[in-house]
Amino acid sequence: MSFTRKPGGKALDILQNLPRISLANLRPEPGTKKAEKKRGRGQHGGNRSGRGHKGERQRGNRPRLGFEGGQTPFYLAIPKYGYNEGHSRRAQYQPLTLNRLQYLIDLGRVDPTQPIDLTQLVNGRGVTIQPQKRDYGVQLVGEGAGIFAAKVNIEVQMASEEAIAAIERNGGMVTTGFYDPRSLAVLCKPVPFFISGQPIPKRMLPGEDMVTYYTDATNRGYLADPEKIQKARIALARKYGYVLPDISKDELFHMLSMVKNPRQIFFGLSPGWVVNMAEKKILKPTDDKLLQYYSS
Amino acid sequence: MSLPFIHRSAMLCRGFRASLNLYDHTTTIRLRTLCSSVGEANTGILQSTEEYKFVERLIPPSRVPIPPKHDGPSPSGWTPPSEVPPALPYMIRRSRMHNVPVYTDLTHGSRKTTLVRKVEGDIWALEKDVKEYLQQLTGKDLPTQVNEVTMTLRVKGHFDTELKEWLVEKGF
Repeated sequence: MSFTRKPGGKALDILQNLPRISLANLRPEPGTKKAEKKRGRGQHGGNRSGRGHKGERQRGNRPRLGFEGGQTPFYLAIPKYGYNEGHSRRAQYQPLTLNRLQYLIDLGRVDPTQPIDLTQLVNGRGVTIQPQKRDYGVQLVGEGAGIFAAKVNIEVQMASEEAIAAIERNGGMVTTGFYDPRSLAVLCKPVPFFISGQPIPKRMLPGEDMVTYYTDATNRGYLADPEKIQKARIALARKYGYVLPDISKDELFHMLSMVKNPRQIFFGLSPGWVVNMAEKKILKPTDDKLLQYYSS
Repeated sequence: MSLPFIHRSAMLCRGFRASLNLYDHTTTIRLRTLCSSVGEANTGILQSTEEYKFVERLIPPSRVPIPPKHDGPSPSGWTPPSEVPPALPYMIRRSRMHNVPVYTDLTHGSRKTTLVRKVEGDIWALEKDVKEYLQQLTGKDLPTQVNEVTMTLRVKGHFDTELKEWLVEKGF
């Protein structure tokens, strides 16, 4: 039912009948304003005015903050160590809890009947990624593993063991893939990239430090051996004590087993193609050297 | 050359492992030269409209999608508003993201308040009900502030989870 009320309600009715508000008829609520103690003005604001008795304290000559009377101060006695060295150059991964993922699926912001990609998460306004601030993607975190109940094919950049277990327990698939900063920017905001008219770049392979992560089957890395991944799925099911559902008999098996090529950024679109959004066309190169470069 | 998607069973990763060892960047051919020849002749390019459906999937929606039907609360705890608005003198609309508009606020580092927004109808009846409910919960008579212009209700203390559950139970 729709309620129609005069804006201002009862307060406006009262105001219209009271005399005009002015400084003469306003007063603060009793107890809200406490009188300030004026120093140097007699009785308890006077005498030494809250400065103590003689010495540096009363005379306002105390030494600098941190000085300990000549003893080596704490901030000099403790040796330096590079805990935060290079902190602004470290890779960051925006966390995505299973709670939030379930919430997005429940509200229809992310479609579980299609493979879930970082683009789908950003389009559903589920995560905010800033590639220019050393974000390298999204990491799946196990908080909410108890309530998670969706069968999804999800591709993230890092995933914790509990999160992988929770998704596989519900019959889904997890993959971890690497995106270099340029590819990540393209992945997060595909439309401005297509409008710029550049060909889709090929995704670069991870650097030395991340290769071991992405070739490991326990992390469901995209460069790992598929047989080892299958063994890892069975081992994880045994570790967490659930029955691994057989997804090959699932009706959505085709969608669940969709995986991107390591050089591919988008599903269905290869590197080297130019997308023309105005005319809804895709331009593909035919030159041999280009084809060889983009498929390497 | 088209690699739409590959299935796990068909992926051969040995080739990629071998390529990881090759750190010599052989050829870096620029596509810009090809772009310059586009204006002259379209010989070096194939055009297709078949794969455009993959591009359409990437376009972000500009409106908040309507949530799918759930019987009762969904696994994440989100409950849709009841079909029939409750027979009360006030109404609390959902936010544009379909959530209950109860928010917590922290001012001056230690002043906790709870705000109920988007109230329509008799806000004083809502204030009475909220005070009664919180009296039962906490045993305290909590200060509240009604703003009839913005149609909001502020309560001292953090009670967002309790008030959200209470409002959802009523059917808002």
